[in-house]
Amino acid sequence: MLQLQSDNLLIKKTLTELIESPTSVDRIVSDFDYTTYHLSTPENKTKLLLSIGTKSWKDLDKYDVVGKLNAIYGQFQTDTVEPGYNYSIYLDLEEIATKSQDEQFEIIESLSLLKRNALAAPFESALEQYEKLNAEYQETGIEPSSNNSSIIEINYRDEESIYIKSSFDRVTVIFSTIFKDETDKIFGKVFLQEFVDARKRAVQNAPQVLYSHKEPPLEIRDLIKFSPNEQKGYVTFVLFPRHLVPQKKYNTISHIQLFRNYFHYHIKCSKAYMHSRMRFRVNQYLKVLNRAKPENEETVERKTATGRRFLER
Amino acid sequence: MSNLTTPAVVMGIGTGLTKLGFAGNDAPSYVFPTAIASRAANSGKPAPPSKPSFLGGSSGNSGSSGHLQSKRGTEDLDFFIGDEALDAANGQAYSLSYPIKHGQIENWDHMERFWENSIFKYLRCEPEDHYFLLTEPPLNAPENRENTAEIMFESFNCAGLYIAVQAVLALAASWTSSKVTDRSLTGTVIDSGDGVTHVIPVAEGYVIGSAIKNIPIAGRDITLFIQSLLRDRGEADTSLRTAEKIKQEFCYVVPDIVKEFNKFDREPEKFAQYIVETTRSKKIVDVGYERFLAPEIFFNPEIASSDFLTPLPTVVDNVIQAAPIDVRKGLYKNIVLSGGSTMFKDFGRRLQRDIKGIVNDRIATSEQLSHGTKSSGVEVEVISHKKQRHAVWFGGSLLAQTSEFNSYCHTKQDYDEYGPSIVRNFSLFNVP
Repeated sequence: MLQLQSDNLLIKKTLTELIESPTSVDRIVSDFDYTTYHLSTPENKTKLLLSIGTKSWKDLDKYDVVGKLNAIYGQFQTDTVEPGYNYSIYLDLEEIATKSQDEQFEIIESLSLLKRNALAAPFESALEQYEKLNAEYQETGIEPSSNNSSIIEINYRDEESIYIKSSFDRVTVIFSTIFKDETDKIFGKVFLQEFVDARKRAVQNAPQVLYSHKEPPLEIRDLIKFSPNEQKGYVTFVLFPRHLVPQKKYNTISHIQLFRNYFHYHIKCSKAYMHSRMRFRVNQYLKVLNRAKPENEETVERKTATGRRFLER
Repeated sequence: MSNLTTPAVVMGIGTGLTKLGFAGNDAPSYVFPTAIASRAANSGKPAPPSKPSFLGGSSGNSGSSGHLQSKRGTEDLDFFIGDEALDAANGQAYSLSYPIKHGQIENWDHMERFWENSIFKYLRCEPEDHYFLLTEPPLNAPENRENTAEIMFESFNCAGLYIAVQAVLALAASWTSSKVTDRSLTGTVIDSGDGVTHVIPVAEGYVIGSAIKNIPIAGRDITLFIQSLLRDRGEADTSLRTAEKIKQEFCYVVPDIVKEFNKFDREPEKFAQYIVETTRSKKIVDVGYERFLAPEIFFNPEIASSDFLTPLPTVVDNVIQAAPIDVRKGLYKNIVLSGGSTMFKDFGRRLQRDIKGIVNDRIATSEQLSHGTKSSGVEVEVISHKKQRHAVWFGGSLLAQTSEFNSYCHTKQDYDEYGPSIVRNFSLFNVP
């Protein structure tokens, strides 16, 4: 598995099962970045309430996430939001079960992308802004100053955030990253260097990646209020117009919002890989050591502490 | 770490099946075979993990190709687990392996990758944000615990870890039964899965290792027994699948087989029919005496095997008699069933009757020998409950959702401070 998928496999599986044979459930499902789903059947077996709660909701809410989700899940919309969660969807399983296979599949698919769609809201609004600025530039031929465009900040983890800034010819996405573990930091550096170098070597179409340690990039320097954090690093992705054309937009957003998870997943994978190499090597050394053992150990003369010998009988 | 409201992850990894899920749920989210299919380079001897060529001086072709893909291999990510592994292994390119043998982890490389995939792909959680509860078989070597902790903390940086003994979790799961009133962690666990049946006495949360007994009769033997009966009769379909379905759907335990035989002869409607439907044909398989004979092999093993002849109730009694005398009453009073092969209807009732019979006989003899002293009697109770099939997992989920769970775990900080040996001891859940 090279890439993480943006849909939630467990939501998919549970919904498929529930549509086939509705039972009363009360389940918790988790996703990356402190996202929790709650599937419950408060009234009866066929009325399913699916709620999502995520850490970054406060920031997402500024970019009309409710409106955007309603546009996608309009048919299942409900006015009441389950307490403790941020957004709820109300499903009538009986009604869905009557639909054709393809339609059912589509509904399940779109529901499993709930988290992706929620987190996509600020990205979409940034892209809209970019399109507006770009159109302005095309019309007038004057570069609109990008200073007036605001920076979107999403605090999606405890100490890590995503910043998005759009201008007329690019959208810049900056991730602040922090490593809890020293080893991770080293692995992370190698990986990020690899990202930075990727463009030089093979993948010309890749977005430009910059990495800076400690020093926040210029774009967001005003936003970082506190003194530079020793632990923090900043990864900048520059998305060019070719990533932002309508047919690629969806994919770009899906991939970039999973960047942190992807990054950490691969750090963990490489550690696992290192471990397997270490085990292999240790086994080899052990084999060498075992070969070096003398076959018949000579009988050593044993003495007591006072130097007396044991008698042979 | 201000925000640890995320549910704890409960992983029950068994020889046959892995159960994954989140604490607080009533059933595991995933149940799939503990299998991993990785690319078979050269089957037979274990292939060394390939060295990325930029590290190796010996491989001559390094540097010649500047292409990313060839320079840094991703073979170690090319594998499948669970049901997908079984599918992938049908082809030529992948070879299947089961990293766990007899409840113990055999292949740590595979296990590490199995965890990697189950956490990131199936459960979709960042291990840094979650606490983990893993299960281990009784009498697991402490070294295995340490290895597990090493992987969980060093590879995955999981926030916290608790490793619980399966039998103790099975006891905790029985608290859901209405028969249980005092929620103690003392009792005898009968854990019968697919391969082997364990009888494990637990006193106040500690397994009495010296008294554990295994019985080589379990789910698979019952299935094979049904299959042989079907073959003897020459039924239309005698596949293992059919036998397994019959076991799950029709079998039950009776108090007396002779009476049941007579009943079958008098009431022909007791005979059932199982219909095997395939896309091409429809076969009808008659289900006869095996309905009650199959589970009977726990109580009269001589009808199926010739090398193991001690009935289950006797084994349970022996186990309890081998335990220290001061806990025996508690062990008799709380006999808990766990695992799929204990799901037969009235299994618990029959077991209770038989054990009671043995105990009462012994009491009668000792009363006779002591001339007139009266015994106060020994209570025997077998507890069956609704969550029996995944009892171990469910017990884990039950304990991991309590608010105190996090304080019982060893955290990443603890691990960094003390090293792997920290997981040799876990504080027990104090009983609420």
